[in-house]
Amino acid sequence: MLTRRDFLGYAAALPLASATQKTPVRLAVITTVYRYLSHGQHMGDRFLVGYPYAGEWHQPNVKIVSLYVDQKPENDRSAQRASEFGFRVYPSIAEALCGGGNKLACDAVLIIAEHGDYPTNDKGQTLYPRYEFFQQCVAVFRSSGRSVPVYNDKHLSYSFEKARSMVRVSKEMGFPMLGGSSLPVTWRLPDVEMPLGAHIEDAVMVGTGGSDAMDFHALEALQCMVERRNGGETGVKAVQMLTGGAVWTALADGTISKELLSAALSRSDTPLGLTEKDGRVQDLMADGLLPSLAKNPAAYLIEYRDGLRATMLMLSGAIRDFNFAARVRGAGLISTQFLLTPEPNVTYSACLVHKIEEMFTTGRAPYPIERTLLTSGVLESCLDSKKQNSVRLETPALAVAYQPPAKSQRCTL
Amino acid sequence: MPRKLAAVATVYRKYSHAQHIVDRFLDGYGWNGAYHHPLFELAGLYVDQIGEDDLSKERAQRHPTLRLYPAIHDALTLGTGKLAVDGVMLVGEHGNYPKTEKGQVQYPRYQFFQQIVEVYRSSGKSVPLFNDKHLSWNWGWAKEMYDTSRAMNFAFMAGSSLPVTSRIPEFEMPLGAAIREAVCVCYGGVDSYDFHGLESIQCLVERRKGGESGVKWLQAFRGDSFWNAMQQGVWPRDLVQAALCRSHTLTSPRAGFNDVMPTFEQMRVIVKEPVAYTYEHHDGLRCTMLLMDGLVRDFNFAARLDNPSRVVSTQLYLPMPDGRTTLANFFSPLAYNMEQLYATGRSPYPIERTLLTTGLTAAGVDSLYDSGARQETPHLAIRYQPPKESTFERT
Repeated sequence: MLTRRDFLGYAAALPLASATQKTPVRLAVITTVYRYLSHGQHMGDRFLVGYPYAGEWHQPNVKIVSLYVDQKPENDRSAQRASEFGFRVYPSIAEALCGGGNKLACDAVLIIAEHGDYPTNDKGQTLYPRYEFFQQCVAVFRSSGRSVPVYNDKHLSYSFEKARSMVRVSKEMGFPMLGGSSLPVTWRLPDVEMPLGAHIEDAVMVGTGGSDAMDFHALEALQCMVERRNGGETGVKAVQMLTGGAVWTALADGTISKELLSAALSRSDTPLGLTEKDGRVQDLMADGLLPSLAKNPAAYLIEYRDGLRATMLMLSGAIRDFNFAARVRGAGLISTQFLLTPEPNVTYSACLVHKIEEMFTTGRAPYPIERTLLTSGVLESCLDSKKQNSVRLETPALAVAYQPPAKSQRCTL
Repeated sequence: MPRKLAAVATVYRKYSHAQHIVDRFLDGYGWNGAYHHPLFELAGLYVDQIGEDDLSKERAQRHPTLRLYPAIHDALTLGTGKLAVDGVMLVGEHGNYPKTEKGQVQYPRYQFFQQIVEVYRSSGKSVPLFNDKHLSWNWGWAKEMYDTSRAMNFAFMAGSSLPVTSRIPEFEMPLGAAIREAVCVCYGGVDSYDFHGLESIQCLVERRKGGESGVKWLQAFRGDSFWNAMQQGVWPRDLVQAALCRSHTLTSPRAGFNDVMPTFEQMRVIVKEPVAYTYEHHDGLRCTMLLMDGLVRDFNFAARLDNPSRVVSTQLYLPMPDGRTTLANFFSPLAYNMEQLYATGRSPYPIERTLLTTGLTAAGVDSLYDSGARQETPHLAIRYQPPKESTFERT
């Protein structure tokens, strides 16, 4: 529901939209590291050199005016970019946002705290300083009496508490906020969307990764599909993370749907094992095959408050791509691959940058930050479950309810 | 009893076309959200060259219904002396075969075809035949294959997987579109991937108003003449740019930047051996197939349309097992369409498409051999209507 405060916040950002026709949006980029193929570089660069979109090379009406880089390894590119594209690299976030002055001097902020050398915690999460960067931005907003749209790359924070306070602050101060992964907005093979209001009976996402990094992408891809179910998102009641043999047991006893896993795997272009050896096609659901390939499987079991159960499976060693399947009452099985295009171009990130640009130029986030908040929380709670010997954890804090955008946000252009 | 099929292949090694195609009939494949097993029994297989990396023996061991035969005749008759299968696939791609003086690999598709139809003749019965890629490197032989299939009245399907693979985005040319010009920017070599680029264009432009009218002439460009032609606008640079905007593999002209549109001058540095075939159809449509090896590793199409005036573009998606994937799943929609051929006795799309692209490939090779001279192509006045139903993968 749009509160009066939200409305004022969006309204405050509206003049931006009419101004964009002539004056570029002044963007401050706050990043952990700006090296080749870091998220900071490949997303930041798109605002400098443009990007492919809908069959054209699109040059955003956005100008990077300042940059803060937390770590500058030997292969740092920030100084080169600043000199070539005419902006400054500042030693602090406050200075970057104020362009060296003492008041907010930009129209939008891009926070990309992915990659770089940061400690990990005992759950295996990398402690990227997203919350800390965000807090410093908000401090400038407060002292300047003005707020601007903020994009936060990937999950909001490794900590749900921190993530929740970030969203609360953005609501209180009334600035639009967008976050998350590129998977929800990349192309799909085939190009299908979950019908709005679908009665989803079960859903499975299968992908590859360890924990925290790729798992977030897969969880958010799952979330962008199931949030479209009848009634919208109600939040998550409980989670459980299984690892090792318990995953195969859950598959055998029906806790995880074989039918859906089979449908999702049928979308994969990257079966491993004998396919790598001699090119053959494999039905990965054949007896004993998955356990022989995926030596360290993980299953994230998610119980939603409205009764839906969904599973995210990480089967590193069996496949290398991200595939979804759901059983929908009256529509049967729906399945698709979330396409991650190859390095170095990673053109899927152009799909995401286009959404970010949309928020910067219109003052409206194309999809709710609550999706990313909930996914951030699900990930942390699942890692908690893993740490506590895979116990089922009730998650009353994850009662994050929201409505999905009516318009699909996947790339169809 | 499932209906039986025979396969005739040049070579059966990892990532050869025979492995991709025949394996899908043996082991099944992911299709339409399920693991699909074709309702056919691959019963006979002939492999022309069996090297150390051969996989056909392994496949026959794992699939007891499959038998390997030392001759094409035996593979089709299953040793009975009479045609004993309900469909045949001819996969004459890969393997060691001599080249012509023009650089074409002399894959023995025509010779294999002749042996196949000899069994049809002697058995007094013909069954549907699929021929992988172009019909033959030799136009005269290709035309003879086509004529034979018509005279003997069997369903004949051929061509590339490009027309039937997924597209990003899922664009289909509107039937009856007013197309003014079209390009495909792709990669690879002459008498090889050029054919795929030509089929990519043809499967889209054949849907234009009036259908296919055939091709009047073709001219090929390479090296400096390619760059000069591009600069002079022999083909539309804006369409090349539109096609490149569909690529997922555009080579960055600058170190440290991962995704940048190169300038014309930068393309000249990146692409060492560019090749283009420009050709004009009888109804005036101009098309250009550009092999820009080094610049992209995918197949990208763009066209200018009238009424209303607009540019359309898409990538014909090849999930290549060159590190990008492990499984060449663009062969899945090809296998699926082959199944339709065998099940219905009708090709899902006209053989004339591939007859035309076979002739265009040969004309391109001829033009390059003839120092880029324009080749008049009266023999390519091939008219046909496209299938009304779209046949590319989107399920």
